[in-house]
Amino acid sequence: MEIPSVATSRTPYVFLAIGVLCLLAGSYAGLAVAPAEQYMGNVQRIMYVHVPTAWNWMLAILFSFGSAIVFLFKNDLKWDNRLEGGLEVGTLLAFLLCCQGAIWAKPTWGVWWDWDPRLTTTAVLLFASLGILALRKFVEDPVKRAIWSSVATIIASIDLPIVYYSVKWWNSLHQQQSSPSTVSSQFHLPLRLNAFGVLFLMIGFIMIRTRIAAYRMQHELAAPPLAIGEEAGELA
Amino acid sequence: MSGGVVVGGWEYVWMAYGLTSLAFLIYGVTLITRIREERLRASMDGNRE
Repeated sequence: MEIPSVATSRTPYVFLAIGVLCLLAGSYAGLAVAPAEQYMGNVQRIMYVHVPTAWNWMLAILFSFGSAIVFLFKNDLKWDNRLEGGLEVGTLLAFLLCCQGAIWAKPTWGVWWDWDPRLTTTAVLLFASLGILALRKFVEDPVKRAIWSSVATIIASIDLPIVYYSVKWWNSLHQQQSSPSTVSSQFHLPLRLNAFGVLFLMIGFIMIRTRIAAYRMQHELAAPPLAIGEEAGELA
Repeated sequence: MSGGVVVGGWEYVWMAYGLTSLAFLIYGVTLITRIREERLRASMDGNRE
């Protein structure tokens, strides 16, 4: 199997910079410009970070799923590096999603956590992602590691459509999905700015994390240097 | 909560925004640190060859 090369362009840092600028503008619009919601008041402003995190978490899991499929078809380890990048950033976003949701739940539902289908299925995917990342730490053979984590990622991704449709299938505590078509037009600007902000940040993070994985793989697959004894034996 | 309307709540808003910013910042710093370490190791591997 070919050792993947490592990209060295500055593109991920450009994505990070654009992401930070969008998030600063979106947070200003969400905290200082947009009006408070009629029933939830100021607490609804959490939506401007919670919903973009949710959308981009789903994209990160889809990216990992796609990378797993492509790796299994092409046997190219660069897709395993991409899977690792997508999965780690997806795990960060899932963790943030659960924390932001808990913070929003306390003043509106009266509890930090509820075993509601949306929350439960999201937590299942968070722990599945953590499990796959742990699995990758324990398997030393890069090819076996890539195959096993691709299969595990594909199995875990089955939960993603269940997360998405859980609020439609079960009439539970969690509200239906928020999107520009379901919220007031006054909330559109901060929601869109933060959605693009998290998107650019996520792309930058995944690109850098993929490069780290590629460097590690290069080190693992590189031929070990000759031992002094072997070298001397060859010379003699 | 007053008459079905949530009153105040800014502390929750700051908590959510603060946690999100802090998590992105810490993760970004760990990424930069890790990629620097890997670059250094790659250059050392290259020198050894």
